[in-house]
Amino acid sequence: MNARRILAISRRIASQFRRDHRTMALLFVVPLVVTALLGWVIRDQERGDVRLGIVASPLVAERVGAALGAAPGIDYRIRADSVDAARALIRDGQLDIALVFPAGFLPGIGGTPQLSPTLPVVLTVITPGVDPAAEGTGLATLQRAVISVLDPNLPGLTRETVWGSPASDALDAFAPALIGFFGFFFVFLLTGISFLRERVGGTLERLLATPVTRPEIVVGYSLGFGIFAALQVAVITTFALMDVGVPALGPLPAFSIGLGIANAGSPLLAFLVVLLLAVGMVNLGIFVSTFARTELQVIQFVPVVIVPQTLLGGVIWPVDSLPSLLQPISRLLPLTYGVDGLREVMIKGADLGSAALRLDLGVLAGLAIAFAALAALTIRREVA
Amino acid sequence: MAGPAIEAVGLTKSFGPLVAVDGIDLALEPGRIYGVLGPNGSGKTTLIRLLTGLARPTSGHARVLGTEMPSRAALARIGYMTQSDGVYAELSVLENLRFFAALYGTTDAAALAHAVEIVDLGGREGTPAYQLSGGLRRRLSLACALVHLPAVIFLDEPTVGVDPTLRVQFWQHFHRLAEAGATLFVSSHVMDEADRCDDLLFMRAGRVLARGTSAELRARAGTTDLESAFLRFSDEAVA
Repeated sequence: MNARRILAISRRIASQFRRDHRTMALLFVVPLVVTALLGWVIRDQERGDVRLGIVASPLVAERVGAALGAAPGIDYRIRADSVDAARALIRDGQLDIALVFPAGFLPGIGGTPQLSPTLPVVLTVITPGVDPAAEGTGLATLQRAVISVLDPNLPGLTRETVWGSPASDALDAFAPALIGFFGFFFVFLLTGISFLRERVGGTLERLLATPVTRPEIVVGYSLGFGIFAALQVAVITTFALMDVGVPALGPLPAFSIGLGIANAGSPLLAFLVVLLLAVGMVNLGIFVSTFARTELQVIQFVPVVIVPQTLLGGVIWPVDSLPSLLQPISRLLPLTYGVDGLREVMIKGADLGSAALRLDLGVLAGLAIAFAALAALTIRREVA
Repeated sequence: MAGPAIEAVGLTKSFGPLVAVDGIDLALEPGRIYGVLGPNGSGKTTLIRLLTGLARPTSGHARVLGTEMPSRAALARIGYMTQSDGVYAELSVLENLRFFAALYGTTDAAALAHAVEIVDLGGREGTPAYQLSGGLRRRLSLACALVHLPAVIFLDEPTVGVDPTLRVQFWQHFHRLAEAGATLFVSSHVMDEADRCDDLLFMRAGRVLARGTSAELRARAGTTDLESAFLRFSDEAVA
């Protein structure tokens, strides 16, 4: 290995990129916009109160309805005479949930709001059945309200956590995966296409006619693209972690720059995880470009290489909850270890003393080296 | 100089049933310009790729400057101008030259300036390659093959798409390089370029049909022009 030749290749890649403003925007602006948009969507969802209707006798409805309507997150709208009437109201979009009391249900009379039923009863709940996630949230709100109204003497629950904070939301859990995904996706696409152009444009033929070795080419590429991947990850991580409030100014409302994601561990360790993941993907990109003859064919590797990893790599669903047949496949994918490593660091605050994190880093490094070897081997597969 | 600059012994390359280069024997003295002439698909590029070590022979040997190919040490003294331009479009003229110079292990700034001068690209050092016209890109491609002052230079159809004025300039450079001791191996399918070579190889279907100077070949074939001479040798080979 000759350091001067490796540096010549990585410097060349850097110069090529600096000139290519569109690609620079793809690397640095697009992930920021997507991350910001996602943060906005997840954080500031317009979740109004649950619009509730009750199917019960006027007496029950009067007692229970008023008490439920006073509970947080519940907006008691109307009493319906029958289940059919309630269904019609939901169909018309006037109600989110209808709560059906059985005919014989009698709320405890006397001390309000002591409304304990005298018999074990089953209440029926009717929802539109369109958006399971949103309806589930509404149901949980209703359930809390029903319990507190029917028997305020039942003990409440206070939540404490081992990792993270009880106040953390879906975005805190998703941000590490998102950072990993960006570090993974763009470099794969860019290296695949860059290397393809090298093959098709005749420059690879030229490179191979110089004293440069194949491993030097692969390392040069890893370094050149690694620098851009590192910068990209630094920018996204900074954006995800920072939270700078901007006060309201004139007609503009106050807003904050950054997502303010809680990071329990060292940002440098998180950075190392993504960097290893990105370098592995650079090498995989070179390898994959061997099997493509056009840019379009490189794009065709996105559904083959990227999408399955996104589904199985723990980005959206935890690997442990996947069907048992799919789990072993997950354990072969680089993204699985990247996402897990990032969650270990950012959520659980793991340092190098953590066996789980050491495993993630080790596997990522091993995969990067294995892909580099594959890439170096396939460079010789030349089109005559 | 001891020994031939370029040597081939029973050099053969087949792709499946297709024999692209079929048992070629060569021993080419240094300091001359060799022209390889033949129709498209006659095996010229494959022969160059075998001689530069870019392709592995199915059988036989290739030696350049006395070194068995493929050899990285030998590659440092070989220049190769590919049929396609093989330059980086986003990089400037000077950046392209500097890149290839670094791969060849040349850091000499004078060598870069010299390469720019040879191909007459002075004043355009900062221009990105994609802004150059086809002919200028061709010149840059040639300069990239010369930055390290190679002793053996392979030029695969160097004058394709090059206008007549530039073609004359190219050949003047080639002769100057040969006078300075370099060995040039130029492939072409244009017969009128052949007269500019010191020695000619007629190639067809992976074999060398005939070798000699232009005058010798025409005399042996009993024709007045090279084109007819090539066809005569070609017919003899088939018969």
